Amino acid sequence: MNEIVKTLLSIAKLPASEAEIEAYTTAYAVQRASVDALYEIPEARYVDPALRFQAAARITDWAS
Amino acid sequence: MTELPITLTDAAAALRAGTVTSVELTQAAIDVADRVDPTIGTYLARFDSYALERAAAADAELARGEDRGPLHGIPFGVKDILAMAEGPTTAQSLILDRAWGEGKDAPVVARLKAAGAVITGKTTTMEYACGMPDPEKPFPLPRNPWNSDTWTGGSSSGTGSGVAAGMFLAGLGTDTGGSIRIPAAFCGVSGLMPTFGRVPKSGCVPLGYSLDHIGPLARSARDCASVLEVLAGPHASDPDCVDAPFTASELTGDLSGLRIGVVREHHFPDGRDPALDGVFDAAVAVLAERGASVVEVTLPYWQEMVTVDIITMGCEALAYHQTDLGARWDDYFVATRAMVATGAQVSGADYVQAQRVRRVAQDAIGRLFDTVDVIACPTTSVGAPTYDKLTGPDGQPDIGALFSMIHTPYWDTLGNPVLAVPMGFTADGMPLSLQLAGPAFGEATILRAGDAFQQGTDWHLRVPQPATEGAAA
Repeated sequence: MNEIVKTLLSIAKLPASEAEIEAYTTAYAVQRASVDALYEIPEARYVDPALRFQAAARITDWAS
Repeated sequence: MTELPITLTDAAAALRAGTVTSVELTQAAIDVADRVDPTIGTYLARFDSYALERAAAADAELARGEDRGPLHGIPFGVKDILAMAEGPTTAQSLILDRAWGEGKDAPVVARLKAAGAVITGKTTTMEYACGMPDPEKPFPLPRNPWNSDTWTGGSSSGTGSGVAAGMFLAGLGTDTGGSIRIPAAFCGVSGLMPTFGRVPKSGCVPLGYSLDHIGPLARSARDCASVLEVLAGPHASDPDCVDAPFTASELTGDLSGLRIGVVREHHFPDGRDPALDGVFDAAVAVLAERGASVVEVTLPYWQEMVTVDIITMGCEALAYHQTDLGARWDDYFVATRAMVATGAQVSGADYVQAQRVRRVAQDAIGRLFDTVDVIACPTTSVGAPTYDKLTGPDGQPDIGALFSMIHTPYWDTLGNPVLAVPMGFTADGMPLSLQLAGPAFGEATILRAGDAFQQGTDWHLRVPQPATEGAAA
């Protein structure tokens, strides 16, 4: 598990220390199980995600 | 000097009655800051001269009959992840480019200014509205005015402590996993997370694009309603913000006909404060005495929505921070690194699946709100933790232990509005808090419930006497 976390952080170019990787690994095992459980919810099988793309959208300066 | 009002609502009435001036309110707020801020670390930047100028202008305008509404002349704090022209935005971080937002007002800040609010300064936050305090970094450590050995909660730390201590009558916070409601709870003030999309979030340094909410902290539900009226409404710069301005309904204190669903599951874990059960039961009894009918309910997809909040925040924040994290890892707070690195530990498919389950849970909570008008549950199971309890045995921030006692992220994921109000004290005399959640865009209903609760209690009027010894930095 430690090597998985190390690899994932390395891919993202996050230079965590060994102590941090150790702590992240402990949390990762629990988090991975929680994320995997999201695929086990039958009600979500045919549901669109809460994401939407607007074809006509433009960037508007918030201070204008 | 006559005792000054401690709520925004009372101060607004006193300004119009001529029994107090904005300059008096502002000078009193500055005096409190001079005395207490070095201990509790409310401010990152103070605008004393600017505030006194704006206060004098407000007094002159009110004297001429130019009334901009209840925020006119009111001392007000702004969390330092929101742009304000009078000073740089730091996000309490060594990383953020100080040129970001320079000389500009976030739409919500512009609306506060237009309403005549007297902004006294920029308040402390956890770095980028994320994580936990880091004593190794050159920023104030936010300390709780009720006990300076304890944390304020975060991330809207300074806004919570500033309202509690009397450095301003209301302030802005942001909430992505609980950052309005947690400091409101720990500091014994009221905090409102509006519906996602009710208030424009542009001009705010982002944490989770699909989770960030901007809202008020103040003494009372009524105060929060006045602030929301100013903040709400669409802005072209925020595609998530909808055309839903807010007008507070009449607050009578009567809850006849209101159906309240009470949640206990997950909110009373082992290790909770011994006073929590009795305090919560007493709070529910007050709501019932005011005319509400009470039924027990459970929240659908509880654990799933907590997970979705964590990984959505992690992924959305990592997209923003990945380049800087790679180049300047050590300049980030330790807890920020841990929370943002979560985004590197899930896949793109995981993120999308989280958004699919989020949609399912939105539908389920909507159906629950077909049967009740308000959901009531504790904000946290404990009072503010002491600083020594924020770190685990491995020396790393103990985020998991902390959030096992905090019950806020569920609602960020769903986007529903939630009001946190003080409901009593722990066995050690620290504030405890009640969450009142409503259906999407149901702020009027939860504010009605919160106001009725506060008409029957005085927890929101309890004021700490913060110590002035020591230093926040």
